[in-house]
Amino acid sequence: MQFFKTKKGRWWTWVLAILVGGLLVWGTQHDAAIYSDPIMQVTSVDTGAATKETDDFHNVDRQTKQTLHGKILNGTYKGQRLTVTNTYSQSGAMDQRYHVGSQLFVVVHAHSATHLTASAKDVKRDAPLVFMIWLVVGLLLLIMQFSGFMAFLSVAANGVLFLIAILLNGSTQGAQVLWIFGSLSVVFATLTLWLVLGANRQMLITLATTLGGTALALVTALLVFHFTHEKGMYYESMQYVTQLPRPLFLAETLLGSLGAVMDESTDIISSLFALKRERPELSATQIFKSGRQIGSTIMGPLINVLFFIFVADTFPMAMLYLKNGNSWGYTFSMNMSMGVVQSLISGIGIVLAVPLASFLASRFMAKKVTA
Amino acid sequence: MSTISVLGLVLLILMVLVGGKAGAQSFLALILNFGLLYLAIVLVAFQFSPLIVTLVVGMLVLALTIFMSSGDDLSSTVAFIASAVVLVMLIILIVPVEHWALVQGFGPEDSEDLEGLSVLVGVNFVQVTTATAILSTLGAIAEAAMAISAGLSEILEQHPQVALKALLGDGIAVGKQIIGTTFNTLFFGFFGGFLALFIWFTGVHYSVGEILNDKIFVSEILMILFAMVSVILTVPITTWVMTRAVAGQRKRAAKDTSK
Repeated sequence: MQFFKTKKGRWWTWVLAILVGGLLVWGTQHDAAIYSDPIMQVTSVDTGAATKETDDFHNVDRQTKQTLHGKILNGTYKGQRLTVTNTYSQSGAMDQRYHVGSQLFVVVHAHSATHLTASAKDVKRDAPLVFMIWLVVGLLLLIMQFSGFMAFLSVAANGVLFLIAILLNGSTQGAQVLWIFGSLSVVFATLTLWLVLGANRQMLITLATTLGGTALALVTALLVFHFTHEKGMYYESMQYVTQLPRPLFLAETLLGSLGAVMDESTDIISSLFALKRERPELSATQIFKSGRQIGSTIMGPLINVLFFIFVADTFPMAMLYLKNGNSWGYTFSMNMSMGVVQSLISGIGIVLAVPLASFLASRFMAKKVTA
Repeated sequence: MSTISVLGLVLLILMVLVGGKAGAQSFLALILNFGLLYLAIVLVAFQFSPLIVTLVVGMLVLALTIFMSSGDDLSSTVAFIASAVVLVMLIILIVPVEHWALVQGFGPEDSEDLEGLSVLVGVNFVQVTTATAILSTLGAIAEAAMAISAGLSEILEQHPQVALKALLGDGIAVGKQIIGTTFNTLFFGFFGGFLALFIWFTGVHYSVGEILNDKIFVSEILMILFAMVSVILTVPITTWVMTRAVAGQRKRAAKDTSK
């Protein structure tokens, strides 16, 4: 291990990391054999002339037809040559332009043993995905070392739990979505805080704050829903919904605010513990005041983090609505209102966690902090 | 009154009760940020280049978020410069990756929502999706930069003569403390948003291969990964900007005393 701390050692780790990354990306570009769907690699492209298209709202676009020649990389038809056609537009909202070297999934129609026709389905995207995962893990380990590894471990563990919860939700036809993700939030929070803080009093106080803050936010939201009769909430505008939208929306909001509330309470409570360690003479009231002080500086930026995650995602669809002659207000209601409601509920949780964290820490912190 | 305005009012009251003037200011920043985001969408719809709009709006959002929350001058300035540098680096990373992954626009899962809408609108969707990915990480960049620079300025306050080299190490140490919890904010924030999509995948029985190459799935996962990269990069960059700022201050101070 000492070797990696020297200058030469550090240089070699970077070289090694870059080598591993190159190998991974090269590997995913040559992994067609593990797919069961036929994949075609484009070897030459004939591009047709562009045609001008104008829609009802005077939006002008150009569509181009391209003929792609290539060969199949895997499966029954491996090595066979194929020709497919593809139409792409200048804007490319639903289509894409292919180049020589592109790998695409195709649907093959076999007319006889030698005569094959096919249509392009979609492009293969695993290489950029693997590249980005490598970049994150690499940077994490090189810059943060052990803490980076722990952060990665907790994200991976939560990812696995998340997958199990989704499968469980599927097996109950989505009837129990709120209960499944509600109880899972408890597991998520416990596991994450245990990985970050270890099992001790500080972790218990942080856990209580996280769960309390998130639960209070949801209760507040349900009360507001009740008194305003959910006016201006467009559940039908939610995307990809395959089950009852209301409990699904609440489950999404619950998960979304959980991480931020956890982040915040960890920050506040660990600062308060550090403070008590340095100045053990501080009274509970003074601790509470410092907690409020720390909390009020970090709550704004945290709400912002969630706001941008929830609302920026609606950019392409909102823009399409505007381009299709819809008013600004209607575009907001149909695309962004649910994201804004989610950010507001999470915001309420984040703000409520500040006094909660300060109170719990000031009351239940051991008289003498040792750890 | 609509649900949004009541929830907004509740949030405002709570922020003022907990944070006083700083709370009210943060709430105002939130509203202004929403205005900027909406402005970005409208400008792109009016055929302005999505990337340039994002760069300008991104800088404004960072400035607004950082300077409107309480913090001393040095740490706010450092946080802003560092987050601006991260924003530019992020654009340099996101543009080629988005071109490579071809995840622009909408996928087959969106067809129901797209019914009756014309998609041939003459706006480059590769750039729109790039802009979306950049905008969604802005909050995280600002938060991380502020946390690091605030931590460092606290260290400087207690040990005003700390060596610059030690300060570099301190920055990474502060970063190590926040990285775990920040990653969880990102993970839960994004997964909370994508829950419906993931339920769709399992309900419609996509194969693993199909999911890993699906346009919408890859696009959403890339967004999380971009956000994580930007948070990681924020740690050394903020620390570096802080050491430059402190070095500059000390030089000036040395000049003043020698006069």
